[in-house]
Amino acid sequence: MNQLASADCEMRRALPATLQAAEEFFMDFRRRSQVLLGCVNSFAAELLVREALTNAVVHGCRADPNKQIRCSLRLKRRRLLIAVEDDGDGFDWRAAWSHAAELTDCSGRGIEILRKYANRVRYNGRGNAVAIVKRFS
Amino acid sequence: MIEITREDNKAILRPAGDGIVAASIPELRTRMRGIVEDGVRELVVDLTDVQMVDSSGIGLLISAYNSLRKVGGRLAVIHASAEILELFQTMRMHQHFSVS
Repeated sequence: MNQLASADCEMRRALPATLQAAEEFFMDFRRRSQVLLGCVNSFAAELLVREALTNAVVHGCRADPNKQIRCSLRLKRRRLLIAVEDDGDGFDWRAAWSHAAELTDCSGRGIEILRKYANRVRYNGRGNAVAIVKRFS
Repeated sequence: MIEITREDNKAILRPAGDGIVAASIPELRTRMRGIVEDGVRELVVDLTDVQMVDSSGIGLLISAYNSLRKVGGRLAVIHASAEILELFQTMRMHQHFSVS
């Protein structure tokens, strides 16, 4: 399902839970966001979208192509809303939220990036859906 | 595609894709492991063509740093964009290796 609505930029997709499908989505988003936000803000926007979607693919769905991820992005008046939901069992976001990776850890920085780059991050109770808000100056 | 320039125990690795991101990690990890196993002790990652690094990419660089550190080597990252430099500083990567 692909839709482009009347906001500055609106994308809704249902993707198989693969990194390849996610990468194609990121490239499409980059093309649009660079025009609307400029390079500096586009980087932060893409980074947030990547972390949310990659987390759903890798941790939520274990990269199972039979599972689906639904992603909705809405950029309007320099406010980006990212909503991602996956078919997985969810994860303990409360524990992950308060976890900070040690300096030499090779993983565990996705949530930290969301914390530092987003204005607001909200998970559902089950931990298989997240809504992120980023405002750009 | 990944370009590698090798001289003695030093190598410069220049990813030609536009990101060190989750989808590109398996190939990059294989190449980096091979480089270190082949005796490289000074690894320079050239980000000239790289527009994006995500948390998986940061993890890969930390992994390379850890591997090199174990054998007395070192890692450096060069030609990072302003946005990637800011990300590395935000995530305290500059405490591990030089970033420019």
